[in-house]
Amino acid sequence: MKVFLKTLIALMLGLAGLNASADGVDVKILDPWVLAAPPSVKTLAAYLEIKNYGGNPRILTNVSSPAFDQVSIHRSVMHGNMVHMEHLKDLTIPPRASVALKPGGLHLMLMDAKKPLKIGDQVPMTLTFQSGEKIEVTAVVRSGQMEGMEGHQHMNHSGH
Amino acid sequence: MNNQRGVLTRRSLAILLAIAVVSTVVVTAFIGWRPGNEAVVKPPEEIEDYLFWQAKELTDFKLTGADSKTLGLNDLKGKWSFIFFGYVHCPDVCPLTMGIMGQAFKLMEKNPAAYQEVQGIFVSVDPKRDTPELLKEYASYFSNKFTGVTGETAQLDAFSRQMSALYTIHPKEAQKPGDTNPGDNYLVTHSSTIFLIDPQGRLYGRFPPPQLPQEIAEVFIKIRTFYNEREKK
Repeated sequence: MKVFLKTLIALMLGLAGLNASADGVDVKILDPWVLAAPPSVKTLAAYLEIKNYGGNPRILTNVSSPAFDQVSIHRSVMHGNMVHMEHLKDLTIPPRASVALKPGGLHLMLMDAKKPLKIGDQVPMTLTFQSGEKIEVTAVVRSGQMEGMEGHQHMNHSGH
Repeated sequence: MNNQRGVLTRRSLAILLAIAVVSTVVVTAFIGWRPGNEAVVKPPEEIEDYLFWQAKELTDFKLTGADSKTLGLNDLKGKWSFIFFGYVHCPDVCPLTMGIMGQAFKLMEKNPAAYQEVQGIFVSVDPKRDTPELLKEYASYFSNKFTGVTGETAQLDAFSRQMSALYTIHPKEAQKPGDTNPGDNYLVTHSSTIFLIDPQGRLYGRFPPPQLPQEIAEVFIKIRTFYNEREKK
């Protein structure tokens, strides 16, 4: 009986850990930020990480910001040394998984800034999921100089 | 039967060996032979991947910067030029790469002689939207070492093709999803490599993506040292 109880408690704790973050939230947005650009640049990019603690896939369908006319989900794609962007209709975060938007890859394209943004400025954004759930985040404008690019973690630069 | 196979194997081995010897001799002779009296100095391994097998002479070009200033081959001579092709409406890769180069230039300050010889050139392949004045503001934001230039298609092509830095404007592909008439919101495909031109105006090296500031600064200092030693010989 003791063993059974212990197993049951362990199982419940385990399930709790899988199904939600410590504070019981299903989806969490981590480290939202905007890559700084010269003041006259009206098109910027935002990055963040979406963590899905739940057992079902979550689909990001829309992003909006009062600081921009429009926001869309984009991806920079490298073909050899050529790069182009494509936009995505939505973005799926598989169950118990995380999708990171970072420089040189997935990003939120912020179009037609209503006023120039500088380093340290805050950009409120609303992320809407297919379930109807909305998450409000505040992204901070910062310089990307030390970020490095998507793909760096796969490269061994000590080899050069 | 077994014996016969053994003979065959030995014979093929002998033939293979002969081919190997002959090709080694031919290849060695070919590599060893160079036009002129240029001494063959092998670059150190850690910079080899960044250098072109042979520095490529560039032909003259004419691009336009702010205040009607032009940029031609002569403006590259006497300097090490870092060249990046992009466009201002590019929110991800362009400001990121420009930021990385700006940071790399900063790291080079530790070596004043090298730093003094360095310049950065942002070539916009999107002259329709990027005016020389906008490019000046854009480029200098990332470093005061940067100049921003563009040109008409023929001039851009004449310059970029020498580096095989191809680009494509997609007038029908909108940045906004579902936008069938993008107008001024079209997409552009461009090279994400940073090109390095030596003080003789020759295409000397390149930094393919993904780049890091530290990597660019360190490799460049080594490339410059190697170049200076080689040119003295």
